[in-house]
Amino acid sequence: MRRQSRWSFGLLVIGFAYLGLFLLVPLVAVFGEALSAGVAAYVDSIRDPDVWSAIRLTLLVAAIAVPLNLVFGVAAAWAITKFEFPGKSILVTLIDLPFSVSPVVSGLAFVLLFGAQGWFGEWLQAHDIEIIFAVLGIVLATVFITFPFIARELIPLMAEQGRADEEAALSLGANGWQTFWHVTLPNIRWGLLYGVLLCNARAMGEFGAVSVVSGHIRGKTNTMPLHVEILYNEYNFVGAYAVASLLALLALVTLVLKSVLEWRYGLDGRTSH
Amino acid sequence: MSISLRRVTKTYGDYPAILDISLEAEPREFLALLGPSGSGKTTLLRIMAGLEFAERGMVCFDGADITALSVAERGVGFVFQHYALFKHMSVADNIAFGLSVRRRGTRPSRAAIAAKVAELLDLVQLSGLGKRYPAQLSGGQRQRVALARALAVEPRLLLLDEPFGALDAKVRKELRRWLRELHGRMGLTSIFVTHDQDEALELADRVVVMSSGRIEQIAPPREIYETPANAFVFDFVGESNRLPVRIENGEVRFRDIRIPVSPPVGMMGTALLYFRPHDVNIVPADEGISAVVSGIRPRNGHRRVEFRVEGIERILEIDIEREMQVETGQVIAIRPERASIFPAAPPA
Repeated sequence: MRRQSRWSFGLLVIGFAYLGLFLLVPLVAVFGEALSAGVAAYVDSIRDPDVWSAIRLTLLVAAIAVPLNLVFGVAAAWAITKFEFPGKSILVTLIDLPFSVSPVVSGLAFVLLFGAQGWFGEWLQAHDIEIIFAVLGIVLATVFITFPFIARELIPLMAEQGRADEEAALSLGANGWQTFWHVTLPNIRWGLLYGVLLCNARAMGEFGAVSVVSGHIRGKTNTMPLHVEILYNEYNFVGAYAVASLLALLALVTLVLKSVLEWRYGLDGRTSH
Repeated sequence: MSISLRRVTKTYGDYPAILDISLEAEPREFLALLGPSGSGKTTLLRIMAGLEFAERGMVCFDGADITALSVAERGVGFVFQHYALFKHMSVADNIAFGLSVRRRGTRPSRAAIAAKVAELLDLVQLSGLGKRYPAQLSGGQRQRVALARALAVEPRLLLLDEPFGALDAKVRKELRRWLRELHGRMGLTSIFVTHDQDEALELADRVVVMSSGRIEQIAPPREIYETPANAFVFDFVGESNRLPVRIENGEVRFRDIRIPVSPPVGMMGTALLYFRPHDVNIVPADEGISAVVSGIRPRNGHRRVEFRVEGIERILEIDIEREMQVETGQVIAIRPERASIFPAAPPA
């Protein structure tokens, strides 16, 4: 007993030291560096118009990508878990594609499709539609990269729940929409929120794919992660870390919300049996 | 309400789930679909409900063809094996669900729904538990909530899929009796699926025995038990023993022992004798089949004795009175007094 507790204490110390060194110290360093020239300098670098524009763009992209993936993620998970159809396993594999491909490759694929020399380049130019080096391209790349988060979260959950609840609702005379709204959605709500949270964190933080399609036009097509890189390359460390600290803050909020959700989720899981 | 299935067939890929089944249930009848897993009984029930659709054949309610109607349009009550209660809703909201999703014109008022819920809670003996959530109820209580929820829409046909399958033996027996009573009181037509022969024989007016997507026999419980249509039914609805026999000159013989059973008309040569453990007598040595006692177990009111007969692989299980002295290894002459005879090779 004693021996065991000494062992587990040792393991705990190692675990925490590891976490501290590789996760906590860098995080603290980000905030430390951001505030190294004082609070005034920090506030000033955030109030820079280009930074503001990057923040607005990041929020805009997330505000489009997350709801889109919410709808399509739920639809895909619903279709995969509640119906049998040919090509189902292909769909499941496709959903994982954004996770398995390097984001840079995804970005390049969009350039190949929609860039000036790309497959649809001429047609897009003729119709005055800008995708690459424009906001639309950033949104497309982000939607692509973050598609799996919600669907992946829901598929195992909905597969486990089966179809009986929906069948019960239908047998009681509910229509498809009532069944979805009153039965399916409440059954998946915590998992869905969790997926939305992860999807949002990635939508705001995505660098690789967005970097390829954005063109880095200051004040126009720079998202926060891209702007951090630009500032850093210009040796504006306070500015770079100030913006980075905002992203880190987002990560922290996401983690807290996620923990709260997991706690709620777990509570639900326990009482449902 | 009467329900009739006419020549219904359903396959899953190459696997035939239901093969050309026709079946009728009279108004107010309590029908059991009995069979082993994979016999198609649940699929048949789901076809009646409109949760599955047959490839061929017709489903009629009161003579009207409703084959193409969806489950929502059929207005049947369906009780699921694992209850399928909506766990985020209170018991009362669960029961009210079928009424509160109705269109504005046909939806009862709030007060009317509340009154109906109270009435149903009373009916299923759960008054006062309306505010609880399904997770706070026992298995038997959940099953009764599921039943109340199905009854709320006032169906004329109640379909139950293994209604007691997930409950422990004692609760199961209580609920069984209660359901039988309820069925009688409500004047419904009810059909339930089970793999438990006791349940089917105790509850149903008529039992439909199924195997491999076909109906083996439809009859009242007593007839199913006493005059099974074939070896499958005999084997499935109760404990059974089997011995190879010969039929000669209208007499049934096992080796040179005559079994006092009259053979089916026209059957000759080798056949199989099926008999229940309690339909056997101990007889003087030269009048019965000599068998060696290989095991003794106590049972309610009697003892279950296992016998080996030389040259026969399958052990015979026979009930004898508690007063009789038997020991393992003892040789005793036994003779089936009531038995059924079926062809030796079951028709393919």
